[in-house]
Amino acid sequence: MSQVMGVQPVLQRSYRMMLMPAVLAVLIFAVLPLLGMFVLAFTSFDLVKGWDTGFTLKNFVKLTDDKRFIASIWVMLSLSVFGVIAQVAAGTAIAVGLEKIIPRWRFLRGIFVVPFVVPHVAVALVWLSLFTPTLSPINAFFDLFGITVPALLTTRWGAISAIVIADTWASFPFVMLLILAALQGISSDLDEAASIDGASKIQVFWRITLPLLKPALLMVALFRFIETIKHFPLIYVMTNGGPGRATQATNYYAFIQTFQNSKVSYGASIAVFLFIFAAAISFWVARMNARISDA
Amino acid sequence: MRKPKGKHDFSWKQAAGVTMMLALLFFALLPIIWSFILALRPENRLFEPIWESPTALTLGNIRNLAGTGFPHALFNSFVTATVSTILAVIIGVPGGFALAKGRSSRKFVASWALLLLRMAPPVGFVIPLFILYLNVGLLDTWVGLIGAYMVLTLPLVVWSSWTSLSQIPDELIEAALLDGATMAQALRRVVIPAARPGLVATAVLAFLLTWNDFFFALVITRSDTVTAPVAIMNFVSYASVDWGSIAIASILLTLPTVPVIVFANKYIVQSMGGAVKG
Repeated sequence: MSQVMGVQPVLQRSYRMMLMPAVLAVLIFAVLPLLGMFVLAFTSFDLVKGWDTGFTLKNFVKLTDDKRFIASIWVMLSLSVFGVIAQVAAGTAIAVGLEKIIPRWRFLRGIFVVPFVVPHVAVALVWLSLFTPTLSPINAFFDLFGITVPALLTTRWGAISAIVIADTWASFPFVMLLILAALQGISSDLDEAASIDGASKIQVFWRITLPLLKPALLMVALFRFIETIKHFPLIYVMTNGGPGRATQATNYYAFIQTFQNSKVSYGASIAVFLFIFAAAISFWVARMNARISDA
Repeated sequence: MRKPKGKHDFSWKQAAGVTMMLALLFFALLPIIWSFILALRPENRLFEPIWESPTALTLGNIRNLAGTGFPHALFNSFVTATVSTILAVIIGVPGGFALAKGRSSRKFVASWALLLLRMAPPVGFVIPLFILYLNVGLLDTWVGLIGAYMVLTLPLVVWSSWTSLSQIPDELIEAALLDGATMAQALRRVVIPAARPGLVATAVLAFLLTWNDFFFALVITRSDTVTAPVAIMNFVSYASVDWGSIAIASILLTLPTVPVIVFANKYIVQSMGGAVKG
């Protein structure tokens, strides 16, 4: 034992040495740009007019009065809320299906995972083709029965649902994998005890499995929620923010203000808003985490 | 126990379950099958339903794609994703190890900061980076893009190697050191082999993150260093959309990621689970 204690000081010293490069690199590559974002947001920088380094709050004052910004928050929330609900529902349904309903189909898990690794640009492009009425096999199929499928991308809620559908396709495997892991962590004794007591499979699911999954479901949902805030390729490729400004979510609006309108500082202030929004949710996640691991 | 059912008893509930699973399977597969069809359709049959001319298929789209800038963009993607993954692993894994095993009172700060960096919207990083790069001439360079990718990969690698390395018992490392191994030897011979699955998953996730990136590359690259996800957009123009090339390019872009995820997905779950559970 005393020998082990003798090793400790050396160990701790080498741990510090190992930590140093990582800390430095994170500071340079990640923290510094974030500080840059704050500096830009509190000054006024315009790619055309140049940089006035004096401290100002005018970007944030302008935000409170910007109708496009307020509208973009609603777009963001619709995309996130509907997207997360759809992904969690689909992912959980598949996980429960593979684990409980048809265990013989477990080999399909590998297939269900595939959409998860498809780059989002490719996801956006293939769904764009499926939502292009002249091209889509879905439209062609319903045409056979004389049914005209509406062109989703031309209407406000249609375009929002199109992005939600594409995002659901890309992200249900993430939910599925984590819920599968959670399901496997639930002891089957409980299921058996309940069915011995005469509960049907459906009752077991609603009364036992689902309540036990609740912490995992909530975590996955929050995690996905934060990811959906950052939607970019799907919007850029499928709708370009349109029709009109119907799918200009906040993240996309920050991009447009910065890189299309050259209003760098204004774009940065929108990014600061998003950062604080994401940080608040992550804080909630971290707190809930602590509670789950304590339990 | 309830009375055992015969093997062939028909159950409506079971049928509903099977129907639901089939519908979801169709949803999962439709875009994949469709992109293969698009990739193989000759241009003049593109707007004809596939069941009207199921045999009108061609490899011509592949030949066309070979003549564009796309292969070079794939090469760019490969270089930037590989280099930024290797750098992040070399710098990040020792850091993760130190956080897993060292005694520090600041671990909570570290985990909180890493979580925050992973959750932060990329647009917040990209705006200052763009201004910086514009002024120092790093736009459209490999160094610039790889530097930007460290924003994505470093927090991920530190975080998830921290998770997987904390499962290695302290005694294992101490025993190796007491046997006279140096720290580097202990790492190479004992710690890394024991944690290999988790570390491989970490590297795979970091690679995927950069390989799939669209946003950073869209802002930072112009022509020479354009990566494949951005280069695909060259096939989309106001006048026409070259669906055949898009489909093949998408398939090529996805192919390298598929085997990895299918074989490694067990470990990926652990490492994502770590990411979620903290």
